Parts: sequence; C-alpha cells; structure tokens
Amino acid sequence: MKKKILCTIMSVSMVASLLAGCGSDPGKQSNSDAGTSDDAGASDDAGTSDDAGASDDVGASVDPGTEAGAGTDDAYAALAGTTINVAAIETAYGSEMWQEVADAFTAETGIQVELTTDKNLEDVIGPSMQGGEYPDVIHLATGRDAALTEQFIKDNMIADITDVLSMTVPGETAAVSDKIAGGFTDTSLTNPYGDGKTYLAPMFYSPCGLFYNAGLLEEKGWTVPTTWDEMWELGDKAKEEEIYLFTYPTTGYFDAFFYALMYSVGGPEFFDKATHYEEGIWETPEAKTCFDIIAKLATYTNPTTPAQANDQDFTQNQQLVLDNKAIFMPNGTWIVGEMAEAPRAEGFQWGMTALPAVSSGGDSYSYTWFEQAWIPSGAENQDAGKVFVSFLYSDKACEIFAQHGAIQPVLGIADKLEGDNVMFYSIYDNGAKAAMGNFAAFDAIPGVEVRTVFLDPVNSLVSGTMTEDEWIASVISASDQMRENLK
Amino acid sequence: MKSSKRRNGFLVACIAPAVILFFVFMILPTLNVFRMSLYEKGAYSQTETFVGMKNFQVLINDSNFIRSMQNMILLIVTVTIVTFALALIFAAILTREKIKGQNFFRIVFYIPNILSIVVIAGIFSAIYKPENGMLNSIIGLFRDMTNPILWKGESLVMVSLIMAMVWQAIGYYMVMYMASMSSVPESLYESSNLDGAGRLTQFFQITIPLIWTNIRTTLTFFIISTINMAFLFVKAMTSGGPNGASEVTLSYMYSQKDAGLYGYSMAIGVVIFLFSFALSAMVNKVTDREPLEF
Repeated sequence: MKKKILCTIMSVSMVASLLAGCGSDPGKQSNSDAGTSDDAGASDDAGTSDDAGASDDVGASVDPGTEAGAGTDDAYAALAGTTINVAAIETAYGSEMWQEVADAFTAETGIQVELTTDKNLEDVIGPSMQGGEYPDVIHLATGRDAALTEQFIKDNMIADITDVLSMTVPGETAAVSDKIAGGFTDTSLTNPYGDGKTYLAPMFYSPCGLFYNAGLLEEKGWTVPTTWDEMWELGDKAKEEEIYLFTYPTTGYFDAFFYALMYSVGGPEFFDKATHYEEGIWETPEAKTCFDIIAKLATYTNPTTPAQANDQDFTQNQQLVLDNKAIFMPNGTWIVGEMAEAPRAEGFQWGMTALPAVSSGGDSYSYTWFEQAWIPSGAENQDAGKVFVSFLYSDKACEIFAQHGAIQPVLGIADKLEGDNVMFYSIYDNGAKAAMGNFAAFDAIPGVEVRTVFLDPVNSLVSGTMTEDEWIASVISASDQMRENLK
Repeated sequence: MKSSKRRNGFLVACIAPAVILFFVFMILPTLNVFRMSLYEKGAYSQTETFVGMKNFQVLINDSNFIRSMQNMILLIVTVTIVTFALALIFAAILTREKIKGQNFFRIVFYIPNILSIVVIAGIFSAIYKPENGMLNSIIGLFRDMTNPILWKGESLVMVSLIMAMVWQAIGYYMVMYMASMSSVPESLYESSNLDGAGRLTQFFQITIPLIWTNIRTTLTFFIISTINMAFLFVKAMTSGGPNGASEVTLSYMYSQKDAGLYGYSMAIGVVIFLFSFALSAMVNKVTDREPLEF
C-alpha cells in the first residue's frame, strides 16, 4: 500500500513537472490585454450603434476606405466589432504611442485593436507564428538580428498591400499615396521583389549620417569635413590631441553608412548594380574606392571600438563621442533620446552631417533609414489590418508618433518637428541627397548573410586581423552566391 | 490472479501520463530534429522541401561552422580542466584543512552559481571594460595603459569567456566534491599519516580514488553544461563577435535559424547532439575504474 501511494505521488509530481513548462506567465497575459479592455466598452457602442443597419451598403466592399469618401463613420461599420491583433516593436520611441494610436484608431473606425508591444517582439510573436497564428499587422523593421521580417520576405509570406496606397485615410479625405512622401514606396525595402507591388508600408524615418560633438569642433576651431580628404586631415589633427576620428556602435550601423557611401561614390546606378550583386561589380574602381575609404577609416577608428561593438556594450562606443574620445560615429536621430541620460563632456552639443563627398563638388548623401509595417499573408483580418495601416498615415496618428519622436514619412511633417530633430531632418534641405534602398533579398544561403559578409569584417579591419584584400575577396565570393540565389 | 491484473492496471495508469507526456514533449521533438535536418524550410513557413543529406554536406564545408565547433571544443576542454583542477583543490582545502571562515569561503565560492548568466555577463562586461574596467585598472598599476587590453577584442575574447565560465562553475562542482570528500573516513588519513604520507600523496592516493565515481558523473555534467552555458555566455556577453570570433556551435545554430535556414540549423543540432553523446560516452569509457569502497 505504501508503495502504491509513493508510486502515485511520484507519477503525479512527474506529470506536474512536465506540465509546468506549459503554463504561460499570467502577468504578461493581463498586461497585453489591459490596454484594450478599458476602451472596449465605449468604442463598441460607437462603431456599431445606429449605423448597423446601413452596413448593407458597404458590406460588400472589400476596401471600405476606397469607397468611403467623406462619410467615414459608415464606412467601417462592416468591420466594426472585429478585433485585429497588432504587434509592434518597442524601440527608443517607447510603446505608449502605439496604445494612443490604437485608441485613436478604434475611436475613428470602431475596429478593436489588441496590441502587443515588446522590445524583443520576435520572441513574443515568433512561437505562435510558427504554429500558424499571425498578428494582423506587424510593425517590425528589417535589419534586426533575428531578421524576422527578412524571413517573411524570403518565404513570400507578406500580403500585397498595394491597394492600401489608394485607400482613403480614415477620418480624412486624402488617399494614403497622397500623404506618403515621394520615393518611400518605390524602394526595395517596401517593394522587395521589384515587381512594382508594395508589400511593406514605410514607417518612422530617420536620416542617418555621422553624429558628432558640435561643441568640440567649435572649441577646437575645426570645420565639418565636406570631402573624405578633409576628413583624413581632420583625423590627423585630432590624433595629435589624442582624439580619434571615428567610432561606431556596432558593425550593424555600417549598413546605412555603406549604402550612403555607395551612392556618393557611384551614384544611384552603381548602388543599384551593387545591391543586386551584379557580376564583377566589386572589382570596379567605384567599389574599390568604397573599400579603400572604409579600410582607411578603420585606421582612424578608436581601437577600443571592436571590443565594445556588440549588442551589450555598444553604448560604450556611443559614449566615446560624448566623452570626446572619438569625433564621428554613424547613427540615426534616435541617438539623442537613447543617450539622453548619459554623462557628457562640457559644452557637448549634438551635430549631424551627411557622408562627405568623394571629391570636392561631389554629391554627399545621407541614408534615409525607415522602419516597416506589414501584414502577414496568413493573417485573419487582412481587410481591417489594411485599414489600420492606412490610419498610420493620418494626421492624428502622425501627431501622436511625432510627440514621441517617431517621424512618419508623410508630406508636411517638417512643421511638427521639435528640438534637435529640426536640425537633423533639415539635412536634406542643406544639400545632402537622400539615399534609399538596401541589398536585394536572396534565398537563404548557409553561412552567408549581408551583415556577416559586408559589415562584420569592419571589426577585423580595425583590429588588424584582416586585410582589405581579404575582405574584398570574401565579398566577391559571397556576392556570387547571393546573385545565384536572388529572388 | 485478479489482484495482479488490477495491480498491473494501476501501474499502467500511474505511469501512462508521464510516459505519454515524456514521449510527446521529449522524444518526439528530438526525433523531429533529426527529421528536419533532412529538410529545408524557413522558420515561419509552412512548406518544407526534402533535401536529403545536403545540409550535412554544406555543413562540412562551412568555415563558420568549423570555427564555431573549434571554439566550442576549446571551451569544453579548457573550462573543464581548469574548473576541475580548481574545484578539486578548493574542495580539498576546505574539507581537509582547518581554515578560519571556512563557511564564508564556501558561500563565496557558491554565489556565482546562484546568479543568472545575464547578471554574470553584466558583471564581467564591467570587469573587462577597456577603459576604467576593473581588470585593466589593476593591470594598469604595473604597466602603461595607453593601449588598453581589449578583453572582448578578437584575440582575447575566448580567454575572457573561459574566465567567466570557470568563475561561474567552480562553486557548484566544489560543493559536489566537498560532499563526497567529507564522507571519506578520517581513519584512512590518520593511518596514512602514520605511514608517512604527505598531504599531496594523501590527495592523489586517497581522496581522488575514493571520490572517483563522483568525478566521473560530474565530467558528463560538464560536457553537457559547458555546451549549454557557452551559448548563454556568448549570447549575453559578445553576441558572437567581434566578426564571429566568439561564435560557438549553438549560437551559430541559432543565427542560422534567424537567417531563415531552419533545416540547416537542425542539421547543426544533430551534429551537436551526436557530438555531445559521443563525447560523454568516450569520457565515461576512458574514466572507467573499479569502484573503490571505504
């Protein structure tokens, strides 16, 4: 009998321990629900109320926005009451703005929003997506380590949202395409397959360039270099004062740098060929100039940089600029908020410049980095999701985003800018050209990724464990494979 | 007859839930790893293509994989040897010698084991900081530090990882050895003392042989835990950098999954699985001795 009891206890405890892993964190669950529950009652009424009967008129329309015209209140009656799941990455801009936008959206259309925001969004939504459950709208940029968006592009799992461009912005009369600034929906970042169809909606943009301490340059009487030759001169001068010319947070920040450099060296045509891995492109004089500049820049880089160029210590590299131990670093406008609490040298003042031109009189470029929002093709409520995407360009949403420092790529946004952002976003008014686009998508190749091939070796160049020629050779061989696997 | 049938029924009822759960959550996924290694698919796509042994063929020629494997073997070998030696020595000192504050040292050595890896990574990041980090500040007392030592730089990053991992593991193994050492009868040491054996001889002739079974068990622990720990440390301390210099096999497997090569990363998983299995079996075989009893 004793044995039986023991046996029972043991098997029960074993089962319990196995099941323990299945339990979800109740705290987290309630957290994600909390945001929407407050508003649920109110908006339910608003959306469906008396107009419910009229829904027959619009019920058949797939894109309520296109037929909406001025009477937006009726337009979304068919979709009112549906709940869409929106997943957004929490970045330097914080996550409150998403809740505010979701609330505004619900108030406007009656469509409920279940919001998930997290700094590691991939880990939160990834497992359920592997099980076939997709959020209806995902805001997650390319270029992250987990490369979730890239994987969806590679596997053709993103819904075509070209029709969103012709939809009317909820609560307004303008179409989405009238609001989005020129060029943003023509890049390989929004149209990854080059077939003229838009799959990813451009979100928060930020001019990238070289950030520096304007106070330091003023104090020393140095001017911001406009060509690379002036850059090297400044580097030599600074070295005498034991200040290094350059540092970078992680090699990931070289993507914007590399793109702008390719533009300034060879113009859009060279950029286009290079990002499509055209045969022999890396042996051209233009490519050689790009490699030479980066290799030379490596010799001017603060030598402690590579040891801190990882996801844990990158702020130490940013700190080098704040401490006047390095002059320039490639970065985006979010840096101001990111380092807001960090100690800094006396008289520190943020400055930003486009990449210097190759020769005097040449073009200087600043890469326009922007994030993307998209709809997985497996999502359930794609129509409501599209309405949400179109709402992201409404004046109301843009204003909410701008209050938190996130700038939507819409016309006339310049009037909403404040503080340092006025200076940063005016970079294109001051002669710099905008560089956009990225390396073309290719079917995944084992051991070959854009970042590991083009960007990570900069660490080795700085520490001197790799020569420029070795780097070029590895780029050429990887580029050949990428071309063969182009989508 | 009837009662034995009932008895069997009861036993089956007791065992079935656990067996089923174990099968569903342990055996099936493991088999699935082997199956997936023969396919290619993105982590999120629902379609998969059978590619046979292609993933493994590519694997053998993937220089990044080979480097990550080398790094992992380096970690397994050095971390094991250093931790072993130090844990044994500390355990022997703390059990055999009469030192003031013995309990204090016991706790101090064990603390790293309670800390989460992320905390340890944070501590060591502060220790390894090139400028005004603890390690460089101490070394700076003896030499000129205009060119600070880059502990997380390409050439030293593996050494830095080893030091952190040893620091983390020592306490746990020390406690295990102390437990078995304290059960060795005092009389053995006394009689050997009369025969003129010194402390070193006692350590090698009495202590080590008598706790040999324990050492064998911990060796297997070691191999498995170092493979897992290496991933955590790399993720939390270096993210595989600079330029892949600290990538270990598990972190490489993870990055290949992120690159959209689910099948390929499963092939790496299979290699790690077989490797750790083979290594454990080998270590078990090599360390096989007639168990001594006291």
